[in-house]
Amino acid sequence: MKLLEILINGLSMGAIYALLAVGFVIVFKSTGILNFAQGELAMIGAFLCFSFVMIFGAPYLVGFVLSLLLGALLGALIEVVFFTRMVGKPLFASIMVTVGLAGVISSIAGFVWGHDVYSISSPFANKHLAIAGFAVSYGAAYTILTSIVLLIILLLFFNRSLHGVAMKAAAEDPDTAGLMGINVNQTHMIAWAMGSTVAAVAGIFLAEQSFVRISMSHYGIQAMAAAILGGMDSVRGAIIGGAILGVAEGLAANYLSGLEFHGFHVGDVKEVAAFAIMIIILMIRPRGIFGKEKVERV
Amino acid sequence: MSHKIFTTYSDELALLPNLWVKFWLAVLAALLVFCPYVLSQYQLSILNEMSIAVIGAVGLNLLIGFTGQISLGHAAFLAIGAYSSALLTGHFQLPFVLSLPLSGIIAAILGMIVGIPALRLKGLYLALGTLAFGFIVEYVLFHWDVTKGDLGMSVQHIQLGSYTIKTQAQYFYVLTALSALCVLCAKNIVRSKIGRSFKAIRDRDIAAEAMGIPLAKYKIMAFGLSSFYAGLAGCLFAHYQRWIVPGSFDISVSIAFIAMIVLGGMGTILGSVLGAVFITGIPHFIVYVTDSLKDTYPSLTGLIVDFKLGIFSLIVVLALLFEPYGLVGIYKRVKTYWTTWPFRY
Repeated sequence: MKLLEILINGLSMGAIYALLAVGFVIVFKSTGILNFAQGELAMIGAFLCFSFVMIFGAPYLVGFVLSLLLGALLGALIEVVFFTRMVGKPLFASIMVTVGLAGVISSIAGFVWGHDVYSISSPFANKHLAIAGFAVSYGAAYTILTSIVLLIILLLFFNRSLHGVAMKAAAEDPDTAGLMGINVNQTHMIAWAMGSTVAAVAGIFLAEQSFVRISMSHYGIQAMAAAILGGMDSVRGAIIGGAILGVAEGLAANYLSGLEFHGFHVGDVKEVAAFAIMIIILMIRPRGIFGKEKVERV
Repeated sequence: MSHKIFTTYSDELALLPNLWVKFWLAVLAALLVFCPYVLSQYQLSILNEMSIAVIGAVGLNLLIGFTGQISLGHAAFLAIGAYSSALLTGHFQLPFVLSLPLSGIIAAILGMIVGIPALRLKGLYLALGTLAFGFIVEYVLFHWDVTKGDLGMSVQHIQLGSYTIKTQAQYFYVLTALSALCVLCAKNIVRSKIGRSFKAIRDRDIAAEAMGIPLAKYKIMAFGLSSFYAGLAGCLFAHYQRWIVPGSFDISVSIAFIAMIVLGGMGTILGSVLGAVFITGIPHFIVYVTDSLKDTYPSLTGLIVDFKLGIFSLIVVLALLFEPYGLVGIYKRVKTYWTTWPFRY
């Protein structure tokens, strides 16, 4: 029974990781930029939802939707302001810009909301669902379900819709895609908006499971492990990577914590489990589970 | 870019290409010698931090800028150097003269060990692999009895024979001399066969291999060299700060080092030096500005942490937006402008 509970809780954390990882993948797939500010965007989403629900007293669902919309707007804005200029410049500089943005965003959040710890009182707080004799929190079940729905929509978008296919084309070869009549800039903007929306969803769910605070942006870096696990260019991979990561973290935290070897204390395994898994995966499959091996031309 | 046409290879490779460079270097050296007589303790401490940062940044640039292997775990090697020296001088009572190269060598060996599996990884995957390595090293430092975890370790002053380096001015001479030596070595490595192989690997590794450059050997060499530099920087940092905790080697340090070389200019030694000076200087500058505003706006002090991070990040972002090739890019543009004046090319 305990194992099953760990699995369910791990999966609900995994769903959040999957959402964050999908955000990475969407932006990476269409622009080639690894967005280090993903965790910060999630944090902003959670704070927006907190403000709407707890400060302005809006209903939870309204707050949720509004924060998603604002999140999308923020993503698009970031792309327009910062990354339209960076087209054709060294890619590494663009990635460093996202690192800088992460700092700017968290300092702005610090100005606006301060460094206290808040929580959102959602309709799911402290309610438990009894499935087959063990308790699953409403929040966890809700997180898993919503994430699954959202991820299915994203998969369909990328594989079936014209915009999704255009996005893939723009990533493959921006110049040719432009010649084929795809508006590459617009595609990039949509990708950023989507990535940041997904991040906002992840942030709000994360707030559901713990608190709203500035340091929640650290989950962004751990979610990178999920994206790597599945392969940076695969939405499907990111989802599975997130699930594996969440479960593995839960298992490690339960079974490894408190062990001691020769003066080495194992504790807080949750913080490094993601990275240990990441290294192991990179050793075995350098491009992740679903990542495509790139054929290189000289 | 350069206005001068070289007629021999040795001219092109010369360390000091012309009289002007020699002249300005002499001026710089003379200024540095007189610094301790003019500057305050606080200003000297900023310069000391910069010297240490220069060593680390030059090492990272050898790996990222010259060989094209992105590493997000540079702080881990700094930590390894720092803790090695702390243990060697504290626990094993070795003199600093031995512990300095030894901590570099220990970091280099670990760097080469990391470099072996990294041979399979490229680009962002390598970056994230090294990022993970950085987190794991930090975790080990936190949870291992030898490194005393959160409590941190105290480190002795630098002992050179019977002579103890204690004041900021003494540290200034030691650190500046060492960092100048490191820069000189890097400059020489870069213009040797090794440096040219590094650049070939960066530009197109498959082509480099086809031309007879053993990829594995040079990639591991780059990792080793860069970690050696990081180990030295870490060792000096430990002896200078005299107290080390795992928290002083976290991901933000790795990112600061990358910011240094990206902002300074990738693949140039001058760029690493400029970037290190710039990035180390900004926080002090921000503190200086906010301190002077404190009397008129007392409410600012509570926000200083956010302020420092925000302004720092904003400067990095803006600098990259307007000059993606870094400070060296600005320097080259200005130089070209004046040497070709009044023509624009």
